[in-house]
Amino acid sequence: MNIIVCVKQIPDPETPAASFKVDEAAKKVIPAQGIAPVVNPYDPQATEAALRLKEADGGGKVTVISLGPDSARDAIKHALAMGADEGVLLNDPAFGDIDNFQTANALAKAIEKLGGADLVLMGRASADWDMGVVPTGVGQALNVPVVTVAKAIEKGGAGLKVERVLDDGFQSVEVALPAVVSVSNEFGEPRYPQLRQIMMAAKKTVQVWGAADLGLGADEVGAANRAMPLEALYVPKVESNVEIIEGDTPEEKAAVLAQKLRAAKLV
Amino acid sequence: MARDYAADILDPLARDVVNNVGVWVEKEVRPNASEFEHADAFPEPLLKGMSDMGLFGIKIPEQYGGLDLTFECYAGVCMELARGWMSLAGIINTHVLVGYAINEYGTAEQKQYYLPKLVEPEMRCALSITEPDAGSDAQAIKTTARRDGDDYIINGQKMWVTNGHRAGVYLVMTKTDPAAQPRHKGITAFLVPHDTPGFVKGKKFDKLGYKGVETTELSFEDARVPASAVLGGSEGSGFQHIMSALEVGRINVAARGVGVAQAAFDDAIRYAQKREAFGKPIFEHQAQQLRLAEMATKIRAARLLTFDAARKKDAGERSDLDAGMAKLFSTEIAQEVVLDSMRIHGGVAYGKELPLERYYRDAPLMIIAEGTSDIQKIVIARSLVRDYPV
Repeated sequence: MNIIVCVKQIPDPETPAASFKVDEAAKKVIPAQGIAPVVNPYDPQATEAALRLKEADGGGKVTVISLGPDSARDAIKHALAMGADEGVLLNDPAFGDIDNFQTANALAKAIEKLGGADLVLMGRASADWDMGVVPTGVGQALNVPVVTVAKAIEKGGAGLKVERVLDDGFQSVEVALPAVVSVSNEFGEPRYPQLRQIMMAAKKTVQVWGAADLGLGADEVGAANRAMPLEALYVPKVESNVEIIEGDTPEEKAAVLAQKLRAAKLV
Repeated sequence: MARDYAADILDPLARDVVNNVGVWVEKEVRPNASEFEHADAFPEPLLKGMSDMGLFGIKIPEQYGGLDLTFECYAGVCMELARGWMSLAGIINTHVLVGYAINEYGTAEQKQYYLPKLVEPEMRCALSITEPDAGSDAQAIKTTARRDGDDYIINGQKMWVTNGHRAGVYLVMTKTDPAAQPRHKGITAFLVPHDTPGFVKGKKFDKLGYKGVETTELSFEDARVPASAVLGGSEGSGFQHIMSALEVGRINVAARGVGVAQAAFDDAIRYAQKREAFGKPIFEHQAQQLRLAEMATKIRAARLLTFDAARKKDAGERSDLDAGMAKLFSTEIAQEVVLDSMRIHGGVAYGKELPLERYYRDAPLMIIAEGTSDIQKIVIARSLVRDYPV
């Protein structure tokens, strides 16, 4: 099976709130000083899923794609160290301020340039913006079925049997290949890279493709061509006030509370 | 939160390796270390994790199936292991050190037999020098090895042997010529398999810290080994071989000091920003700022000294001076930094809920093991006079 895994490098989600800053005028997140970016935590699970399918198949190929700055090579290297075969970095200044639709389109173009895939795997969302729409966007661009939030994947049925995580349970589906599947944290722990694989990954060349390599014109990428223009970016102000409800008995306090909630039109 | 502990490593591959080990330490070691430590339980699952990653083959040449990574990389790995739990860096120390001795000084047959096994989890190593009446004065050992036909008969008592119960092979320092002058010319090192008749594994010491890993007595009661067990095949070179391997051990222990100090500092600087006293976070009090600044400066100096010694060893340069300085400084500052972290934490530091009490009990081992601080100073001073001939 020819599998492509899309991975992303993001600011560390464990960054303390006090270090998270936004440049509201530029509509950009200011990278926190001294805190290295990390691989999106859901993505190693997508890589793990790809490697398990390859191992169960007894062959095949796993290619990793990441769209991002030069430092996103680290996210690709991590997947290579886990056991992926090849890596491609989509890197271009024009990719700097693109939206999810443009990202999905660029990834789809890269997948086509690689000759397509039997299966495209991704994390269920990236933990920075947490929108989870790129897998669907890639599926749409490639015109293939999409299954989201998978906790288990195996070959079988029409192509793959996938168990999905729902808000209130699980759902088993079959999907024909080629397809896009997004993988959830319920999939299980990804393997730790072995030192030998880290050494092998270091020797592998990561191909770098720009917008032009993907056949994307100036009217398709960049902030000016966002399908979803970014109107404003800010850290919401959270205010809290505490009011002690007075009353001689619990019943009296409850009655006072109910009156106040009604006055505030909260009930 | 990911802090780049590998930032001072020059080799990009080594940085990758150390960062990956750091992720493992963060997820698998730090949440579990105190539980293993308080139970003094051998951390079998953590050893499996280290083995699965390939850590035991880190310094074994590729021709024997190892990874042959640099000492710079090894030092970074040991810092990260110790940042999680100092004992893990101790378990790997004697293994790497004995592997180094076999690779540097062993016969072709010894390399061929042992080195591939040391890559796999099937065989770990122990080093046995210290005796009831011989510690820093290692040449005063009384364990003897007497030639008997094609064999040697070993008799004697050893102390403080890390991995003493679980090792597959023991590098044992003996005297084959107790009357030799200078004394070191009568010292021979043997590779003793764990199942050698007459080789008895004694009691496990109950220690202040450095728990989980067993530290034991060993005794040799007419233990018979073939002449092919002599490291390098010839008598009288054992002291030189083991002292050379101990340079590797000193890099390991220096790295352990950095790791433990870093862990104590990380806890302290976070706590200082959260804990309030007199109406503001204690970090805002200048006394704590001065303390934290000194802690961080000491750790950084120790880290750079340790990497510098490791890189000298990688370059094939003589590194006794540098490894000695790194070991002396890192282990001394580890104690100071841990105590300062306790001062910042206040009363909570004295409880067993936080790992600080573990760091406090682990730190003193490092100023004693692999040559005490006083011995390091002697090594340093003797090395320095080489550079100032008069």
